[in-house]
Amino acid sequence: MFKLNLKIAWRNLWKNKGYTFINILGLSISLASCILIFIFVRYELSFDKNFENSERIYRVVSQWKYADGNEFYSQGVPRPLAPAMRNDFAQLEKVAAVQQGGGTLKIKAQNGRAEIKDFEMTFYLEPSFFEIFKYQWLSGNPNQSLTEPNAMVLTEKTANKYFGDWHKALGSTINLDNETNFKVTGVIKDTEPNTSFPLKVILSYASYLDKNSKSWGSVSSNSECYVLLQKGINIKDLDKPLAQFIKKYYVEEAPGKESNSFQSLGDIHFNDKYGNFNQATTSYKQLIGISIIGLFLLLTACINFINLATAQAISRSKEVGVRKVMGSRRKQLIWQFLSETTLITFIALLLACVFTELALPAMESLFGAEVTFGLFTHPIIFVFLLAMLVLVSFLAGLYPAMIMSGFSPALAIKNRVSSANAGGVGLRKTLVVIQFSITAILIVSTLVIIKQMSFIRDKSLGFDTKAVAIIELPSDSLSLLKYNSFKSQLLAKKGVKNVSFNGSAPSSSNNNETSFTYNSSKTADFQVNTKIADETYLETFGLSLVAGRSLSKSDTIKEFVVNETFLKKLNVKNPNEAIGKIVKLWGKSGPIVGVVKDFNNYSLHESISPIALFSFKDRASTLAIKLESKELLSTMTDIEKTFNNTFTNNVYDVSFLDDQIANYYHTEQIMGTLFKVFAGVVIFISFIGLFGLISFIATQRTREIAIRKVLGASNLELIRMLNSSFIWMVLIANMIAWPIGYILVKQWLSGFQYRIELNVWPFVIAMVISVLITLITVSIRSYKAAVANTIDALKYE
Amino acid sequence: MIQLNNIEKYYANKGVKSYILRHVTTTIKQGEFVSIMGPSGAGKSTLLNIIGMLEEPTYGTYEFLGEDVTTLNERKRIELYRNHIGFVFQAYHLIDEMTVYENIEAPLLYKKIGSSERASRIADLLDRFNIVAKKDLFPNQLSGGQQQLVGIARALAAQPSIILADEPTGNLQSAQADEIMNLFKKLNQEDGITIIQVTHSEKNATYGNRILHIADGVVKDDVKVIV
Repeated sequence: MFKLNLKIAWRNLWKNKGYTFINILGLSISLASCILIFIFVRYELSFDKNFENSERIYRVVSQWKYADGNEFYSQGVPRPLAPAMRNDFAQLEKVAAVQQGGGTLKIKAQNGRAEIKDFEMTFYLEPSFFEIFKYQWLSGNPNQSLTEPNAMVLTEKTANKYFGDWHKALGSTINLDNETNFKVTGVIKDTEPNTSFPLKVILSYASYLDKNSKSWGSVSSNSECYVLLQKGINIKDLDKPLAQFIKKYYVEEAPGKESNSFQSLGDIHFNDKYGNFNQATTSYKQLIGISIIGLFLLLTACINFINLATAQAISRSKEVGVRKVMGSRRKQLIWQFLSETTLITFIALLLACVFTELALPAMESLFGAEVTFGLFTHPIIFVFLLAMLVLVSFLAGLYPAMIMSGFSPALAIKNRVSSANAGGVGLRKTLVVIQFSITAILIVSTLVIIKQMSFIRDKSLGFDTKAVAIIELPSDSLSLLKYNSFKSQLLAKKGVKNVSFNGSAPSSSNNNETSFTYNSSKTADFQVNTKIADETYLETFGLSLVAGRSLSKSDTIKEFVVNETFLKKLNVKNPNEAIGKIVKLWGKSGPIVGVVKDFNNYSLHESISPIALFSFKDRASTLAIKLESKELLSTMTDIEKTFNNTFTNNVYDVSFLDDQIANYYHTEQIMGTLFKVFAGVVIFISFIGLFGLISFIATQRTREIAIRKVLGASNLELIRMLNSSFIWMVLIANMIAWPIGYILVKQWLSGFQYRIELNVWPFVIAMVISVLITLITVSIRSYKAAVANTIDALKYE
Repeated sequence: MIQLNNIEKYYANKGVKSYILRHVTTTIKQGEFVSIMGPSGAGKSTLLNIIGMLEEPTYGTYEFLGEDVTTLNERKRIELYRNHIGFVFQAYHLIDEMTVYENIEAPLLYKKIGSSERASRIADLLDRFNIVAKKDLFPNQLSGGQQQLVGIARALAAQPSIILADEPTGNLQSAQADEIMNLFKKLNQEDGITIIQVTHSEKNATYGNRILHIADGVVKDDVKVIV
């Protein structure tokens, strides 16, 4: 029986090739999108889950509360925190301090291999880190390899890269930043990409210069601390001891009240309040957002399916009637129709796998993650596919099967089943309305996202971002001596307009805040964002002054330039009033000599901070070069040559300011692309679904159309007749979509401090697009029906 | 075999009853060949549908094989379809997606008959109706007469005790119609299968041995055909 059903199903599909094609195409595209989304979500959720004892591992993080209500969060902790915790908490089995650094590694030429220079992130780790996180050691072990100063451990891949074969790496030396020689004492297996610890080069914590720091007042996001709870201890049990701990150690006066808390390992990848060493967090909000899109896609495809199947039901009513009088139970008929749906879904799923495979490279580059469609490496994907097969078969197949199997045989045999019996025109209309609502919501969201993104791109940040190259210079004492000659060499080049040594660009992810005094000995109740600059900083970045002058040439802190927000926060109305007032920070004091016009120092998600600019040559190791945009490329190669000649031991590392800034919106760009693609897919699916539906309706109403023609209706009138109900449905769908879309985009936009004003246009455009699509689809098909030969339709069946 | 008592069928519309059948009382015995005749709209097909349990009477009782079947649940009704009743339709109603062979096989599958038994019964029927050569064709590749032969073969496959035929020759040319009617007569006389047919044609009615004349929902006449 089952075999026969399958055979019949196949023949039925073949007979209605057109609709089968529409069904399968729509279904497979949306299934492929769902699979892609699932693969991505699975990959993201798998972060940091592979470690043993992961439920007992926590990271200590810091937060500050300010008098003005501001809060500030950091993934880092004061450096003395780790030893203090180890000492004070018996509930912690292990405590490990982690210090991130980076530098130029030099591997000497050997056995025919040329010398290798490489800029790489380094991690100073305590041996206990590896007792918290279990890594596989190919050679050595944490307690021997990482106890001595100047010991280095590499991952297998890195060791292979530097030495050809990791076995050769053992015992070799690697020079860091032209200063220290490290001895390779161990090799660990490579880490998976789905981890927040991108370990490559590990140095023993004993080699870290500032390891014995006693300063509880400064926190760098590069200093983290991990702990492993004792078995049987609940993290809640630590609340009280932690409060005491905070009270005991944070005794210094500071404008913000600092405290620490424990963040579970599982939260690190998903909480964007704190960062991580992998520089990537994916909030659950994002994952839920993208999952909802997946659900939308699946829903639209199922709606297509149901619509086509119930429309088709009428033509199959006779078969149902005959089968019933031959002795078929309703249940058997339901199974028959379900097996047909399953067959279609199965074919669509196979196709979807092909589409997924094709789309994977594009997705990898979009997310910058190595996601794979490995059925065997991740059996969960296989389970997901199976679940999709069952879910879609039932979701899409059950209702039509119930309707079709419910036909009364007496009516069915006489071909008297009308669309009214075939599962309510009302339901079909409702489904179309839902489908178009989803389409309209996605169109609105996509338009708003595109508009906001272009707003961000085009919004003036208050400084010049175009054609500014940023080069990180080595900051060792020897290199510092070369700065001036390097600068004059650069300025001599034709394509170079200006050069500035500084700590960071006007907008940078590298920020530092500090407390200060203004015109008194009292510490201000907010902190100021410090930017190390030089006499050419304002010119190079195109910043403009509203009062006073630029900084004069100096190697140390001598005078200050502040921004308008700084004065606003201090309630200074007239910028000229501020000139000459004394500011004291970092233990140095000097007068304010200029006030710079406000510029955005963070991404447009955030508002402008109070900022103070000052000179400090020893820490100004970032070089900004304003270039002539016409001769950009040739000048850049020229600059690279000069760099390599000047700083022979270092790696040339250049980026452009506008790229750096574009990077702030990486997540938004991904979201934008996703919305564009998936809105396109949903529009396409709705479009073909509509085409299928109108085809059936046209066939069904052939008789009526023919009769109307005989009665004198023109083709145009017929097309209008067939169009009208669909246009109404689309209009209603838009009415439903507007408030939902409005709430969603409003929510999204509220994440930006600087955003576009929501107006009516995206909504109107969404309506116009959906009405146009409907008109085109319905008209094409109904024209065919209208011009069909009248006599054929009126012949007795 | 069939006992109809005071069968009525009407549709109520805004309080006005429009009758299709009124006071139909009759008995049909095993082995009879009954033709139901009457003008269009007289209620012939409705009566046949009630006998075939495709419609329920509004009033009255109906006993099939001594059992009251006026209101029967789906399961029991399907049991009767599987074992006792075979339908033949004016428009043949073969399943378009199935071959001749599969169409005949379908009721046997529902009856859960073993595959060897199935094969032999179908072979027997194909042989008997001279359609062996056509067994792998689809309905739309056959002439109307041939389709109806398949329809009858399908009705017979489950070895029913009664065949209900609604204008079985209505769509056929007269030569083919004669062939079908002869087949019915033979089935009735040689195999003892009870046959009830609805027909317009006086000539077709003479193949049977009893005629029920219906007009306006009422049995006007019940005559025996004397050969």
